[in-house]
Amino acid sequence: MNYLDTITRMNLHEKYLLTSKQIPDFISFLKTQGAVYAAQKKGEQSYSYQYVEDPANVVLDYPRTIQPLKKFFLPPREELLSFDYQNNSYQKTDVVAEKRIFFGIHSYEMQGVLRLDYSFKKGNPEGNYLNRRENCIFIGVSYEPDEFHLANALGIEVENTEGLSIYLEPVREGYIAFVIDEAGQNLIQGFGKTAKVTETIHIKEKPAKAKIRYHYNRLPKVFEHVYTSQVWGQIAKKCLGCGTCNLLCSTCYCFDVRDEVSLDLQSGTRERFWDGCMLNRFAEVAGNENFRDELSSRTRHRLHRKFKYLTEESGALHCVGCGRCSKYCPAKINLGTTINALIDDFTEQQKLKEAY
Amino acid sequence: MEATTIQKQELYYPLMSEIIQVDHLTRTEKRFIISLPDGQSLGHKPGQFVELSVFGFGEAPISISSSPTKTGQFDLTIRATGRLTDKMHHLKTGNLVGIRGPFGNGFDVSLLKGKDMLFVCGGIGLAPLKSLIDYTLARRSDFGRIIIVYGTKNPSEILYPSEIKVWQERPDVEFHMTVDRPDVNWEGKVGVITTLIPPLDLVVERTVAAVVGPPVMYKFVLMALKAKRLPDENIYMSLERRMKCGVGKCGHCQINHTYVCQDGPVFHYPDIKRLEEAI
Repeated sequence: MNYLDTITRMNLHEKYLLTSKQIPDFISFLKTQGAVYAAQKKGEQSYSYQYVEDPANVVLDYPRTIQPLKKFFLPPREELLSFDYQNNSYQKTDVVAEKRIFFGIHSYEMQGVLRLDYSFKKGNPEGNYLNRRENCIFIGVSYEPDEFHLANALGIEVENTEGLSIYLEPVREGYIAFVIDEAGQNLIQGFGKTAKVTETIHIKEKPAKAKIRYHYNRLPKVFEHVYTSQVWGQIAKKCLGCGTCNLLCSTCYCFDVRDEVSLDLQSGTRERFWDGCMLNRFAEVAGNENFRDELSSRTRHRLHRKFKYLTEESGALHCVGCGRCSKYCPAKINLGTTINALIDDFTEQQKLKEAY
Repeated sequence: MEATTIQKQELYYPLMSEIIQVDHLTRTEKRFIISLPDGQSLGHKPGQFVELSVFGFGEAPISISSSPTKTGQFDLTIRATGRLTDKMHHLKTGNLVGIRGPFGNGFDVSLLKGKDMLFVCGGIGLAPLKSLIDYTLARRSDFGRIIIVYGTKNPSEILYPSEIKVWQERPDVEFHMTVDRPDVNWEGKVGVITTLIPPLDLVVERTVAAVVGPPVMYKFVLMALKAKRLPDENIYMSLERRMKCGVGKCGHCQINHTYVCQDGPVFHYPDIKRLEEAI
């Protein structure tokens, strides 16, 4: 990747200086335009996207949040309808599309939302998700990739601005706000206190720490040949089947639907919950027959969904390289290591083929 | 974003529909005849399914066991095997249930016209196939021979005894039945369903087999059909998965890249022959 191209591309946008002092003011202004959500400290070393009460709590320099943005569009628990048990009737649960501004998100996070958009628009476009996605503005921020971020290796550079309205790049005085679209322009103008920057900004390259041995556009090809790879069995030896990787994945969206009855037994709600294909009962049918009862087949299914099945339809990889599955895996299974092992397997196969 | 330019759909709201008749079929199975509000027709294809729900007990995919030629009402044959289906067995005529659908890909009857039909039904697999059996009987002159092969574990599990009696008596239906474990009163054949296939005299070029049964059955039925030299192109089957949403989102019914609720449950055998985890 040529960094000069990135610098040139970014400098085509209008730029404004937001000084460190102005950032809380800018957030306060954003709060007059919609509900603002941003990364805030959760524990000493962990971060979470939360509603911004106090602009001082907003963190702009963080490696990643624990959960991806999907929780705002596909809530972990969502009421679909409420029913009256006695009359056997129900009421539709409205999805209110409030105006929301997501402040200070990373490019892979935005890409994750765009992947979810694809999944919920295709086939039967789902109103619940799409209503929540309306009226949202995303303001991106630069980040320093750590050893778990695969985004760069998967073709999503730090300065990827697709889907964003403003992109923030740190400089000595604060941040340069690159205006990406009209919504971003309106926000900068509405705030009105920023100085336009005319000189070229030399964006510092943020090298990726995690590497994948192949260019990302060769990965779908690799996944055409590794269905029977021994790598799946090797992962299964370590994997606990806890489903953390599903829950924290930027692009996983599988769900379960259950009825919850209230304590008075008069009424209740039909709710959907996040589910995960790594959990052992996910592919179970009546009579306890389970079509993916082995961890190896579940791991294989999960990664094929990221690199093959959806990719064949959408043309995009459905792993955005956020690194959450690696960072939070209790068994320390690393996605980059897994992909490299699959690549090795594939290369080995190709060598054998050539030999014969 | 183009979120606003596409037609958003309300996917998860059921139509409250009335149970108009309940038939006790076996100790564990009942047939529910259901009518949608305002006399609407379900408009299904044989082999499709609906999402059935009872508030407080959840929702589950159930295949439709009546022919689309019967309008204004439809049948669901339900085995009591879980929370929702146990609750269903306590419901009575006049009770309301939630219906979404029909969903999925049924049998394409236009491709079956003029063919000899071979129905291979294992256990409760007869329920989804009954929609197609009834359809072929309602349009009898559109089809060649109608051969029904049916196997159950024991005589007490035989579904639809009155319909079976009619099929046995009709000269234009060839009906063969077997049970794995006979009781003292059983006078018919004993053995697994695959024992009924070798004696059949089939004209394989014009025979189409429709196969539905428990997961363990498919492999053996396919072997038996292969031994009869029935071409793969002439085999259709319906696969069971727990389709939670019915609209290709929730992921539960996915086999590799295939969503059973969208591309199935009825599959043309050549399309899934190489699909691992399918059967």
